[in-house]
Amino acid sequence: MKYIFAFISLIFSQCIIATEQAEEIFAQLTPSLYQIKLIDKASGEKSSIGSGFQITSNGLIATNYHVISSFARHPDKYRMEYLDHQGNTNTLSLESVDVINDLALVKRDVAEPMTFFKISENTPHKGEQLFSLGNPHDLGMIVVPGTYNGLKKESFSDRIHFTGSINSGMSGGPVVNKQAEVVGINVATSGNQIGFLVPHDKLVTLFNSYKQSPPTTIKAQMANQLMASQDELISTLLNSHWESKSLGGKGAIPIIDVPFIRCWGESNADKQDALILTAVANCSLEENTYISSHFFTGSIEVEFRYMQAKELGGNKFYHLYRQQIARAGAGNRAGKDDVTEYQCHHDIVMPDNKAINNKSIFCTRAYKDFPDLYDVLYLAASIDKKQQALVSHFTISGVSQENSMAFTEKFMEAVSWK
Amino acid sequence: MEVTSITPQQVKADDECFHHDNEQLHEGHMEIIIEEISRGQKLLHRHKMNQPAINIGRGYSNDIILADPHICSEHVKIQLINGFWQIQDQASINGTFLENPKEKKKPADKHILEDGDIISIGKSQLRIHFVDHPVADTVKFSPFESFINLMRHPIALLVSVALFTLVSGTIFYLDKAIEVNFTQLLVPAIGMSLLFSLWPAGISLVSHLTKHDARVLTQLGICFAFFNLMWFSDLLENIVAFNSSSNSIFTVLIAIVPIALAFCMFWLNCYIGFHMSAKRRMVVSMGITAFLFGGSYLIQYSNKPDFNARPQYNNVLMTPSFLLTPSSSVDKFIEDSNKLFEKANKAAIKE
Repeated sequence: MKYIFAFISLIFSQCIIATEQAEEIFAQLTPSLYQIKLIDKASGEKSSIGSGFQITSNGLIATNYHVISSFARHPDKYRMEYLDHQGNTNTLSLESVDVINDLALVKRDVAEPMTFFKISENTPHKGEQLFSLGNPHDLGMIVVPGTYNGLKKESFSDRIHFTGSINSGMSGGPVVNKQAEVVGINVATSGNQIGFLVPHDKLVTLFNSYKQSPPTTIKAQMANQLMASQDELISTLLNSHWESKSLGGKGAIPIIDVPFIRCWGESNADKQDALILTAVANCSLEENTYISSHFFTGSIEVEFRYMQAKELGGNKFYHLYRQQIARAGAGNRAGKDDVTEYQCHHDIVMPDNKAINNKSIFCTRAYKDFPDLYDVLYLAASIDKKQQALVSHFTISGVSQENSMAFTEKFMEAVSWK
Repeated sequence: MEVTSITPQQVKADDECFHHDNEQLHEGHMEIIIEEISRGQKLLHRHKMNQPAINIGRGYSNDIILADPHICSEHVKIQLINGFWQIQDQASINGTFLENPKEKKKPADKHILEDGDIISIGKSQLRIHFVDHPVADTVKFSPFESFINLMRHPIALLVSVALFTLVSGTIFYLDKAIEVNFTQLLVPAIGMSLLFSLWPAGISLVSHLTKHDARVLTQLGICFAFFNLMWFSDLLENIVAFNSSSNSIFTVLIAIVPIALAFCMFWLNCYIGFHMSAKRRMVVSMGITAFLFGGSYLIQYSNKPDFNARPQYNNVLMTPSFLLTPSSSVDKFIEDSNKLFEKANKAAIKE
């Protein structure tokens, strides 16, 4: 009993300490915290809100790219404003962005040097208590205690896994350690106390490159970042081991052995009345790059489908098979202002190993604002077996011509019958 | 109502007659052909008269009895005087007039008839011809005649309808993703055949209503023969689409076949159902073809969204036995695909 009592009192005292620390941190940092608002010029009302924090004495404020994305894409339509703890508002200018890591630097005018957040030089250790700051749902600035849980696994771009409630509106707010140093930036949540942060070193990199040479235009800066990111991603994929796996016992399909591509499978083997036995494997990159609310890029999807006719004539099998491949679509969301319509090519293609004969379709569309970046789609349907079929399909968004063709070539040679 | 005074119009008419006489000195026609025609100039009845005076009216004592209630019982008399036929209005209530497409119609009393004159009495019209009126050239049987006769034959018709039903049934079967029994296919297949027989039936009805031969069997036979040919061209189109790559022009060529078939069918429909000049038949069948294909193209075009986020690609797949072309290599495919980027770039710059 004694021990239990001791244990409970220990927990209780820990909580009190945490609350005290949170209060202290909040009081100390609040003058450097801002709410960032985008005002639609035509209607005069705010169209999106987020949080931000000052990182230099001369008024440079860090936030998320997605908070100010509308302004970055349409600077004429919006005005960017901050709201400080005393209720003062004024306009902000956009200085630099990191679209891949969802960061942006904006600037306010300052009359005299101000206090600002210090960025940590060390990464936190697992289990360390952190404090997330921000303005959720426009309810006012709050502080949320939580725990550092390392970097998100199986992710291509680094994200800190933070156990604590991050809500919308807190995006762009800082996450600090007990020494009030910034270790991350609020970026996303998956609900139930699971939050994600951009690691502080990404901010340091962005800030340093901004100090050296500010970008000439935001659009060109984004184009360069997208180009570099896809280069890194595709070359990682091309240089990884492509493991040949069996699908449905007959098809040989490549599974790219990298942690950030995750695969799922399904089949209708339990459905007795199905005319066609189908086994599907699909793999995808479970993250993408936000450019605007209706334009995402940087996604990869790969899908394989094995089909076998059960007591079905070849003609009917192929008729149903044709319907299966009729409606392939883009893997990312993009609109008329962002991309062109798809251009497609199709042919009957047999890879050099002669192990399969496919009807292959390749489609691409160009990005209007980012030159030399494309969305591509590939779809191949085997046409050499009467009652069996193997469909191989992928989409990559935001990729260069060279990389997409290299990937396509490797992919085409990797799919075959066993 | 009889005209007693001479109006300036009549003087003018008389002048015309003399002019006519001087120009054309010939012996009078003893025989005269009087045709009852509809307002649309279609022939209703034809009378060949061989007597010097012809009475026309609603009464049963007339030589030509007309049922039109606007015609008097003794309405008009056509009499041979000095070798010329003259109209004599019998003081009719509604009068007798000479129809002239170029001028306004004028009273026909005392008019000397010429070949091709059209007289209107009441609401009816009569056309006058003399025996030496030239007739149009004989229409030769077209080379399609034997084909038409073959298709009209009940057995041939039965075979084409059965074939059509079979093909539609097969297509229903192929489209169903689940197991289906025979009756489930038969009902829509027969429904489809009935639906498609509406077109020839409609044409027959129209030709019947326009006082032509209905020729239902012939129209049915021809239409179903062409419907079957269109199935075949569909199959051909699929085979070409399956075998060709994007670079092939065959796909464009093969798309013309159904248009040509439709044109031929409409041409034959006109040929069978209506008497019309070759030029008119050409225009009508081209018009229907253009309306059908142009209309469906317009509908597609108007439904086309401003921006399509989905790729439009050729997804035709057929069983390996239909594969006729050799396969390309991966390198060739990559090389061809590379060209798309240039096109996409151009599209991006243009917009």
